[in-house]
Amino acid sequence: MIRTTRRLALALAAGASALALGLSGCSPSGGSAGGDDAILRVWAGSATPINNNFNPFAVDTAVHATFGAIYEPLFFFNQLSADPPTGMIGDSYEYSEDGKTLTVKIKPDLKWNDGEALTAEDVAFTFGYGSNVSEQFVSAEATDDTTVVLTYTEPQFTSASLTLGSTWIIPKHVWEKIDDFMAETNPEPVGSGPYKLKSFTEAAYTVEANELFRDGAPEVKQVQYLGLDSNQSAQDLLTTGKIDWVGQFIANPDAVTGSGKIATLNLQQDPTTITTCANAELGCTGPQTDPAVRQAIDVAINRSTIREKAFAGLAGESSPSFMLLPRDEQWLSDPALTTSPQDPDVAEAQQILEAAGYTKQSDGFYGKDGASFEIDLFSPDGWTDYNDAAKLISEQAAEAGIRINARTVSDAEYWTPIQSGDFQMTLYGLTQSLVADPYSNYHEYFAGTSTVKVGETPLVGQNYSRYSNPTVDAAVLAAGGTEDVPTKQAAYATIQTEIARDLPYIPVVLNASQSFFNVEKFSGWPSEDDLYAAPLPYLSVANAVVLTHLKPAE
Amino acid sequence: MSFYLRRVAFYLVTFWAAISLNFLLPRLLPGDPAAIMLGKLRRANAGRPLSEETVQAITAILGAEKGTSLWDQYLAYWGRLLQGDLGVSSTRYPAPVAELISAALPWTIVLVGTATVISFVLGIVVGAWVGWRRGTWLDHLVPVTTVFQSIPYFWLALVLVAVFSVQLGIFPIIGGYDVFEFPGGPEWSWAFLGSAVWHAVLPATTIVLSSIGGWLLGMRNMMVSTMSEDFIVTAEAKGLTPRRIRTKYASRNAAIPSLAGFGIALGFVVAGSIVMEQVFSYPGIGKLMIQAVQGLDYALMQGVFLVITLTVLAANFVMDLIYGFIDPRVRHNG
Repeated sequence: MIRTTRRLALALAAGASALALGLSGCSPSGGSAGGDDAILRVWAGSATPINNNFNPFAVDTAVHATFGAIYEPLFFFNQLSADPPTGMIGDSYEYSEDGKTLTVKIKPDLKWNDGEALTAEDVAFTFGYGSNVSEQFVSAEATDDTTVVLTYTEPQFTSASLTLGSTWIIPKHVWEKIDDFMAETNPEPVGSGPYKLKSFTEAAYTVEANELFRDGAPEVKQVQYLGLDSNQSAQDLLTTGKIDWVGQFIANPDAVTGSGKIATLNLQQDPTTITTCANAELGCTGPQTDPAVRQAIDVAINRSTIREKAFAGLAGESSPSFMLLPRDEQWLSDPALTTSPQDPDVAEAQQILEAAGYTKQSDGFYGKDGASFEIDLFSPDGWTDYNDAAKLISEQAAEAGIRINARTVSDAEYWTPIQSGDFQMTLYGLTQSLVADPYSNYHEYFAGTSTVKVGETPLVGQNYSRYSNPTVDAAVLAAGGTEDVPTKQAAYATIQTEIARDLPYIPVVLNASQSFFNVEKFSGWPSEDDLYAAPLPYLSVANAVVLTHLKPAE
Repeated sequence: MSFYLRRVAFYLVTFWAAISLNFLLPRLLPGDPAAIMLGKLRRANAGRPLSEETVQAITAILGAEKGTSLWDQYLAYWGRLLQGDLGVSSTRYPAPVAELISAALPWTIVLVGTATVISFVLGIVVGAWVGWRRGTWLDHLVPVTTVFQSIPYFWLALVLVAVFSVQLGIFPIIGGYDVFEFPGGPEWSWAFLGSAVWHAVLPATTIVLSSIGGWLLGMRNMMVSTMSEDFIVTAEAKGLTPRRIRTKYASRNAAIPSLAGFGIALGFVVAGSIVMEQVFSYPGIGKLMIQAVQGLDYALMQGVFLVITLTVLAANFVMDLIYGFIDPRVRHNG
């Protein structure tokens, strides 16, 4: 809905603004005056009415301030850098030799925002509570006030960012009385983060500085999170100085940053792919189950054009190694895998197809046995960048003689077939690994253990392509059981060769994540030179790290 | 009396059919709400495996009620409905649907209701005047207002926001009240009331602008045809003042068909104005409906549709009764 109208809306608004200027010659009245300037106003993407839910276990429905501003994990993993994590509640951590035991030291003299002491007892309680308990979990014990020992049945080297970076530490004295952690809305959250809840309404909620925060109360004393229903409203509020921070798509960022009050950062991380149902053995059907067809599509599409036309020139170049470069550079086995081909090579595509036994049929498209094949490619209606990309892919593939039919579907018809495997090809965004190690990408999306046969939904992982390759599986297992760099490099090299050849996910672009923030009213924002955290207000933990760095401008 | 009995019986049957349809329609939609929520949860979880219990809990709440027949589901649906239990929203889990609707309803009724009444009254009064003075320059009002009606609503709203809110800074850009002034939410004070009224001006203006044309055109045409009726000629012959003829004779008769339309329009007030709510981030029912449909939130969808159906039926019923009263002709059967 929002995404359908945003470009049109922008064009219209621009036209209307010009009209208004011509009529009146007036200029906007500007930001709000007086003492409330110290309040930072954010739109993190909530629509109205905002859900009154501060339950850190409701990852999908709780409000944004829950994750970082109110509740904190032990450590902050900056997904923009390869630096080691910085301590939040945690001070240091150490794996045992076999990786099955994790000892965490937390900082001393911590307090919850209700005044109670935060000790290792709370941390141990957290790890044994609710959905934090995994199948490999054995026990969590507080050996003294600042030490927690976590024990598992399997090596945990690869889940550091999950265990330490996105497990929200909760106070035992509050949560031990709560049985149904999924149905809890937690309207009066007791957390340890830099902010605590001040007031909540369905239109906006406000958090205020937590005086008991371990580093002292943050300088920005109040942060108000708004609910808005359209990108255009957010853009209007931003340009008129009513709100100070958004993370949203704006096709023409210059229109907002022109005045010099608003700065922007564009981070390109998450790969958008043509996700294919690739594995005929698990029940996938269609021509795309043949790797040759996927390879041909990979070289036939014109990624430069897609980036420019469908993604407004804001998206980045994706890598067939499925790593974020240059962040993960040390794991790259072959420089040829740095980026996918950006320009099409029709001759090569046709050569691949012909070598695999396909011939051009009378209608000009490739096929076998006298009939050309066609592949279905869908994207969710209203995600205009995806819809445009699908259309371009269809046209570009047709030039190489591959028939791809692009169509759009409703949100409901998008998620269900992807999960159950009832599709041929779809445009789908993968989530980039949060740490400078591609393990989670390979494990989540490529491992055979993360998939199930068509018709079922994977319980572990999100390998919706149904890709299953014993070589990859063995390498994923090997990489997961060690901290030794050369061993991991060798395993990743194997994986990269296999997946770049088999292409169960054909990389298209790296998605753009734009953020806009008011540098006139507040200083201390991340910049290209100092990316201490991603300035995306909807990104958990990072948003709170940014908030604690901000200062009201003089 | 049998007229009213017939009407009541008719509405009871319609009511039952509407509620049953309300049960069936969401179940005819494609997609599985549990799968949608699990998919989103998995992405939000950044790779943490979902525990078996979580999956089971979500499927139990949202999954297609497997194992039970449609008939049993239908009975259970009636049972819950009669207890006033509209279920739990899945997109806003675990918020009860009844709460979501009751929070949104006052905004919609006050704003869209007032705007509809203003639009109707303005349309009728101006329409009567234009019809009375047919053939003069006033006739130009008809194409002008219908142009406003034919402009896509969201475009009109966006232009008004861009001009009056962004450029001139007169009106607020979003919201039902000033969320910056009143971070604690609605309160009973003159300042808040003023803020709410001020925030309603632009949304209401767009609704009035985009709907007045129909009322005006209908009223004007009825006025013109009423004025050629014999009883108007008689009234003129009797020497009544033109003002008396205009108000007491022509307008009152010409307004009858519009009044029927007004009843239906009032019923649809509750459906809100989806686009208006979206453009202005204004609280209301319309966006609940659209969010429910997008997120395959059966319970919310059914709740919203139920409220809309009931009000449309109720408005029609009341209009029917009033209509029988003001126009006795409809009470007679053949």
